[in-house]
Amino acid sequence: MFIAAVRRISCAAGLAAGLLLFAAVLAVCHLVVVRYVLGDSAIWQHEFVTYSLIGATFLGSPYVLLTRGHVNVDLLPIYLGGRARLALALVAAVLGVVFCGLIAWLGAGLWHEAWAGDWHADTVWSPPLWIPYIAMPLGMALVVLQYAADLAAVLTGRESAFGITSGTHEGT
Amino acid sequence: MSELQLGLLVAVVTIVVLLTGVPVAFALGFVAIAFLVAMEGTFALGSVPNVLFAGLDSFALLSIPMFILMGGIIAASRAGADLYEALERWMYRVPGGLMLSNLGACGIFAALSGSSPATCAAIGKMGIPEMRQRGYPTSVATGAIAAGGTLGILIPPSITMIVYGIATETSIGRLFLAGVLPGLMLVALFMAWGLFASWRYGYQIVNPELRFSLRDKLVVLPKVGPFLAIIVGILWVLYGGVATPSEAAGVGAMLCLLLVAVIYRMYRPADLVHVFRNALRESVMILMIIAAAELFSFMMSSLFITQTLAMSVGDMDVNPWVMLAFINIFLLIMGFFLPPVAVILMAAPTLLPIVETLGFDAIWFAVVLTVNMEIGLITPPVGLNLYVINGIAPDVRLQTILWGALPFMLCMVVAIVLLCLFPGIATWLPEYLMGPSI
Repeated sequence: MFIAAVRRISCAAGLAAGLLLFAAVLAVCHLVVVRYVLGDSAIWQHEFVTYSLIGATFLGSPYVLLTRGHVNVDLLPIYLGGRARLALALVAAVLGVVFCGLIAWLGAGLWHEAWAGDWHADTVWSPPLWIPYIAMPLGMALVVLQYAADLAAVLTGRESAFGITSGTHEGT
Repeated sequence: MSELQLGLLVAVVTIVVLLTGVPVAFALGFVAIAFLVAMEGTFALGSVPNVLFAGLDSFALLSIPMFILMGGIIAASRAGADLYEALERWMYRVPGGLMLSNLGACGIFAALSGSSPATCAAIGKMGIPEMRQRGYPTSVATGAIAAGGTLGILIPPSITMIVYGIATETSIGRLFLAGVLPGLMLVALFMAWGLFASWRYGYQIVNPELRFSLRDKLVVLPKVGPFLAIIVGILWVLYGGVATPSEAAGVGAMLCLLLVAVIYRMYRPADLVHVFRNALRESVMILMIIAAAELFSFMMSSLFITQTLAMSVGDMDVNPWVMLAFINIFLLIMGFFLPPVAVILMAAPTLLPIVETLGFDAIWFAVVLTVNMEIGLITPPVGLNLYVINGIAPDVRLQTILWGALPFMLCMVVAIVLLCLFPGIATWLPEYLMGPSI
């Protein structure tokens, strides 16, 4: 129940990230038309594209964790078997959760400062900075959640540690 | 503790953390934060989110997802199969021609996709069954595709070159141009081996019933031509300095999206959702590592490790070539365990100052590094191309592929030696077209 719910959330965040990526494609095309075809100067596109990409990175991260798209060194996980692999998966998850949890916490602090202080980017377009800043704490918090769901799946035996079922693994 | 000892400790801790199997991005970030807090106290945490954010706050980074998307769109279409068929129709009477046309198709598709696994998959899907059916030994058929696919990261546009350019603040246009001649050289070396092997072991499998008219030979041109035109256009725009890589790649991705809709009738959302999903996964993976690597280099330079390392290497009285050989072996070993982009992001920012202190050129080093990474793509345990081949031909054992790929790996070693002897192979074209680098 918990696992399925978290997966839904991660997929939704992934969809949002995908839309941001697509928005970035459209914006950069718009930028090129404005700048090179119409000969005008671009005002908002650079920042919009950059912030979309930052948003896509952090919001896409839980989905990528869910689909095992984050590259890791899987030498030991493949080499070790059974309980040792399970123990290693726990260690790896703890390391990941510590980092992502810390970043979520620190990122939330940064976001709150930007929101409370009404920070704006020092540019012509001058968008409020809390919007791009929110992606980091939100995305990283969802990664922690996804880690919890993955752990629950492994510990209840629904999934094997590191998603390794036999000696081989699937390359991306 | 001196900076050098500290640097050694960082290296050891990083390796241990990576070995647990935690994602590279999180591992780098974890180690960076751990050392910052250990050496400077918890107040160092205050700058962490800013550094992470700043690591991604760059318009130039957009070129990464855009090139991945462009390559993904082309790879999902039938362009690879068409390209392969076209070359086969031109070379069907040459002894070993099928292997040669496969290698050639890999070289051209490398330019279309910018990714090695994508090249391997696009050409291999057609090429491997065809070669096996026509009597090539399985090892040769799979080995040639595994090796030919690696060209994807050398021949421009190449995603690893973009990542190198961003990680080391080197001109991406120059890097792309630097990959052209070495890429062609490698194709030539591969083909030379292919010809030799066909002659020596008698794979002169020519089907006398096969006949292709000139019309057959030209029919595929209008299909693949537009994609090649986009790539050439992008290179032209980049070396002319007309637009930035992000702009060129963004428009390129859009054009490819329109072209596959028109030429290959790929316009249903279902076709494209898959492409976007893969592009998103790969981009997020790379961008997260970029953000974490920024934090890692911030830690390294805050603790004066990077600077001390480059200085002490400069003071050391060693032959630069010996040092370069060591660096390459180190990178090769990393390449056995990690995909090229991860190796470049982790190693390049620290290694490049050392390499430049030794008197080597940053652009030239990028090419040597890339060929080195190509070897890592076809060696276990993490040879991405091996897994791609495994997906295409699940009945072929890993040893068989490796055995077939071995001569091609030797070709790559020869290429590295040639690049060391004649650095101009990499540096001449960018300097000729864009002037000497400053």
